[in-house]
Amino acid sequence: MTGALAHFGPRRRVYPSFFAKAFQRELAYKFEYFIGVFNGLLFMFIFTSLWEAVYAGPTAATGGTAFTREGIITYAVYAMLVRISMTQEESGIPAKVRSGEIAMDMIKPVNYMLMTLAETGGGTLFHWVTRVAPIFAVALFAFDAWPPSDPLNWLMLGVSWVFGYLIFFYLNFAFALLAFWFVETFSFQLMKFGLFTLFAGGIVPIDFFPDWLQPVIAFLPFPSIIYVPTALFIGHIPAAEAGSLIGVQVAWTVGLGLLCRVMWGMGQRKLIVQGG
Amino acid sequence: MSEGPLVVVDHLSRHFTLTESRPGFWGSVTGLFSRATSVRRAVDDISFSLEAGEFVGYVGENGAGKSTTIKMLTGILVPTSGTVRVGGLVPWESRRENSRQIGVVFGQRSQLWWDLPVRESFDLLRSIFRVPEGRFRENLAELDDALELSPLLATPVRKLSLGQRMRCDLAAAFLHDPKILFLDEPTIGLDLIAKDHVRSFLKRINQTRRTTIVLTTHDMDDIEALCERIVILDEGKIVYDGATESLKRRYVREKGVVVEFHGDPGVVTLPDLPTVRVEGEGAKRRFSVPVDSVGVATVIAAVAARFAVKDISIHEPKVGEVVKRIYDDPASLTRPEPGP
Ligand SMILES: Nc1ncnc2c1ncn2[C@@H]1O[C@H](COP(=O)(O)OP(=O)(O)OP(=O)(O)O)[C@@H](O)[C@H]1O
Ligand SMILES: [Mg+2]
Repeated sequence: MTGALAHFGPRRRVYPSFFAKAFQRELAYKFEYFIGVFNGLLFMFIFTSLWEAVYAGPTAATGGTAFTREGIITYAVYAMLVRISMTQEESGIPAKVRSGEIAMDMIKPVNYMLMTLAETGGGTLFHWVTRVAPIFAVALFAFDAWPPSDPLNWLMLGVSWVFGYLIFFYLNFAFALLAFWFVETFSFQLMKFGLFTLFAGGIVPIDFFPDWLQPVIAFLPFPSIIYVPTALFIGHIPAAEAGSLIGVQVAWTVGLGLLCRVMWGMGQRKLIVQGG
Repeated sequence: MSEGPLVVVDHLSRHFTLTESRPGFWGSVTGLFSRATSVRRAVDDISFSLEAGEFVGYVGENGAGKSTTIKMLTGILVPTSGTVRVGGLVPWESRRENSRQIGVVFGQRSQLWWDLPVRESFDLLRSIFRVPEGRFRENLAELDDALELSPLLATPVRKLSLGQRMRCDLAAAFLHDPKILFLDEPTIGLDLIAKDHVRSFLKRINQTRRTTIVLTTHDMDDIEALCERIVILDEGKIVYDGATESLKRRYVREKGVVVEFHGDPGVVTLPDLPTVRVEGEGAKRRFSVPVDSVGVATVIAAVAARFAVKDISIHEPKVGEVVKRIYDDPASLTRPEPGP
């Protein structure tokens, strides 16, 4: 056997391999992560400045919420960190359907959703190392937002982050799968982006929305993604409510997971593999 | 394994609905409310079956429905009607299970990971298909031998040339020992040497491993060199399905014998063989031999008996010429014997 072939190690497990390869693939684009760190800090600066301005006026516009000036700055910093830590590359399904490239995934004996999740996870881990960690380090000093020291807050963050991440993943996946039915999915993506930006809590905490709207938002999956992990972490929501909020997250995770499965099953029969 | 054919295609059809967009602005506006649709029968009620170990050429003009058929056989497109069984499985119902027993190459696409070195892609495929260690190494060594992969392994796929990528994709389709290979134009972009390597590789695995191979190509030399059986598709229908040789025999009633003489023999006639036509002038002449009535050997003997012969070559008809004639006039296949 030639030297080049001897390089192959023992066989590995499938989905962990997808995870690892996605991580590795990101390495190919080194320039990306400097830009990523810069962008993250820039946005953090913009939003904290905005809140400073809002709270600086003679009549502090707290919007009737429980947020103090320090509280809202802390929220802005950690919401931004949670948001960056969940960054998910577009799964690329619409583009793959359009080009017919999806065929090359479908000729492999893989669970497509699990594969996408593993790849997304690999990319996310990469972002943690290259973006979240440095931004967190800088933010600690630049924005004076020390994290809570109680391990309970960290535990709540850990658990609710995982479910928030899964909900976000399933939402992205479900919207991407619409490409199996509709040639043009841009408007759906726009809608998802809009709803996410408004209601996930990445920019404005849910508390600031009008009273009549808040219960409506609570019925959507979006607050579970960023608002719940962030608010639990910084202690804006008392730990006593953690159980029910995480329960809601679990319900969304299961529900959306099932929805994706059903959509995938139906979409496969609908899909027209283009080209060739 | 169950007995009977490995692949059974039974009254398979796939129609596409085309919405006709009307030209211009008002066309688009009215198109929002009512649309003229038409149906294209990309694959139109075809049936055939493949035995294990067959090497079949699947040919037809552009748009004949070849790729559409392959997509259904590989389980990535659901037919409008009809059934398919591949190794007992209905491909689009058991897509994942089916994909374990087949290998697929779509010439204009790659199943490798764009940003990863070829080696990493192979490694992933090995995990996906759960190829046992020993088997993987054996296959890889054989593939390396046939397709010269070693120098390519460290290169990211996006940096390979078309022909290099195609070789890697062929290897990728074969890593897991598929029972059946579906190859949709696997030789586009290959240079002559690479093409030769690919051909001998395919021939070898077909013979030594009894891998069933379905080959779609526009290169009739591929078919000539490899496929004992040929299926010809025209506008979604099968117009010929049978041995490549008998197709040739059916169409070709003449063989050419080109004879080079020592010097110009002047007027050449074969009085005993009046049906043989002689063409050309000078030292090189061509004899058109109607194979139904006259043997090539008889002609050669007759020529050699009367003239000083320097060199003789026999021109067998090529599949390509035959297929071209069928493309031009598909009805000719069903017509009874044409007159002389
Ligand atoms: N997604 C689609 N929508 C509408 N029509 C389609 C679609 N895919 C294929 N067709 C039509 O079906 C017919 C068969 O296409 P197919 O790709 O199977 O041809 P082919 O035999 O592979 O041709 P080629 O040699 O050019 O690759 C063509 O007329 C094509 O226009
Ligand atoms: Mg084709």
